[in-house]
Amino acid sequence: MTLREQIRHNYLMTVLLLGFFGLLIAGVAGALYGIYGQGAAIAVAVGGIAWAAFSWFGSTGVVSSVTGARPVTKQDQPELYRIVENLSIAAGLPATPEVRIVDDPAPNAFAAGRNSKNCYVCVTTGLLQTMDHREIEGVISHELAHVQHRDVRLMTLVAVLVGVIALISDIALRMLFFGGRRRSNGPGDLVILAIGICGLILAPIAAVGIQMAISRKREYLADAGGAEISGDAEGLALALRKLMEDPREIRDTSKSTAHLYIEGPLRKASGPRALLGGMFDTHPPLEDRIAALERIGGFTLPPDGEPVATAESAS
Amino acid sequence: MVVVIVVIVVIVVLAILLALAFNHLVRLRNETEAGWSNIDVQLKRRNDLIPNLVEAVKGYASHERGLFDEITQARAAVQGGGGPAATAAASDQLTAGVGRLFAVAENYPQLRASENFQELQSELTDTEDKIAAARRYYNSVVQTYNSAIQSFPALLYAGLLGFRRREFFAAQDSDRAVPQVSTT
Repeated sequence: MTLREQIRHNYLMTVLLLGFFGLLIAGVAGALYGIYGQGAAIAVAVGGIAWAAFSWFGSTGVVSSVTGARPVTKQDQPELYRIVENLSIAAGLPATPEVRIVDDPAPNAFAAGRNSKNCYVCVTTGLLQTMDHREIEGVISHELAHVQHRDVRLMTLVAVLVGVIALISDIALRMLFFGGRRRSNGPGDLVILAIGICGLILAPIAAVGIQMAISRKREYLADAGGAEISGDAEGLALALRKLMEDPREIRDTSKSTAHLYIEGPLRKASGPRALLGGMFDTHPPLEDRIAALERIGGFTLPPDGEPVATAESAS
Repeated sequence: MVVVIVVIVVIVVLAILLALAFNHLVRLRNETEAGWSNIDVQLKRRNDLIPNLVEAVKGYASHERGLFDEITQARAAVQGGGGPAATAAASDQLTAGVGRLFAVAENYPQLRASENFQELQSELTDTEDKIAAARRYYNSVVQTYNSAIQSFPALLYAGLLGFRRREFFAAQDSDRAVPQVSTT
């Protein structure tokens, strides 16, 4: 599979998943209609849309304060700054994103911003210490691919949709328990009621599952896109392996920003999360991502510790 | 009556599809133009740096006259324009010339130690990297654009609407130029 095919494939999957989202919302609306009739369904739908609009327009600009990123200049970090500059040109971004740093010993990075003109990439101090030039290039190219693919916006949209589904289901279930249901007319109505209740309970869970699946797809997409930007899939694979081997986790991450990082910061699955086989992870396993890069780049990483055979100086 | 409605619907749908396809081609063409101006900015920056570099080296190695002339000519050819392929050929020549100039400078420790020279060297290296990056982007969008206007059904109307193939920024014959999208 070539890079472009991979990108197209991932893009299709994302569209498909967004389609499922639409179906889910339609399903919830249908359940409401079945249980309460038209009036309640419309009232809740209008409320849901209003709430969605509110959180969509209020969501920008929150990320920076949550993560504690501070901007750096070209004088502070000339090497990092040049990498971002050059890769932005290679990615065809309209402007070089702002560069920010988080003081944290764990290697990680993320990109944020409303659009490709108004955005920033952020790395941790730990990343700068543990990685060499080529690996940093790989990481930055992955982040710029996120910017290029408008991922931050998409994920914000998805988060809003999840919120709406959860809100509507919640309200509907409460209304059910505290009365207000229209009178039932027979056994057929009871079946509809039972299906409706199951739907309302399952919908929010399914919504979160889809959210995470979209997030995982976007990671593969950003890996493929990053390899295309830097022209060096192997450099990114090496960086991912270094992340895999590093046991440290970044401090202070909330679930709301987890999908932004290059490596899922909440990756140590345990308890019920582990039992679900990663269904609720924001990132695919790093082994799988490295394997995908090896496939599209047509190389195999040497066993750990050995020098890379084709190590050309990354330009 | 039904027939009329069907015909109208089909015409409207076709018109919408055509408009979308046209906008797609326009967007791709704009990307190639933006990509070209990226390259242009970096080429200009390098051309601005080179006279200073030549002057700095001339003070120590005035006998390298042939090399200086070669660089001056390549620089003028880059400035003169003349299409992506021709400019790329001149640019590659200039890159090689500057590389040789740095090799010459290696023989003069005093020159290498000068702050001015070090500054120039790092600026030029950086610019060369940026030219390479801009070239990679430009060639990849040109490839997308060229294959878009050559594939069915766009090839039926792309020419009529003024969409022409664009040259790659590569020294070889533009038809056979391979864009640098593969991993190296």
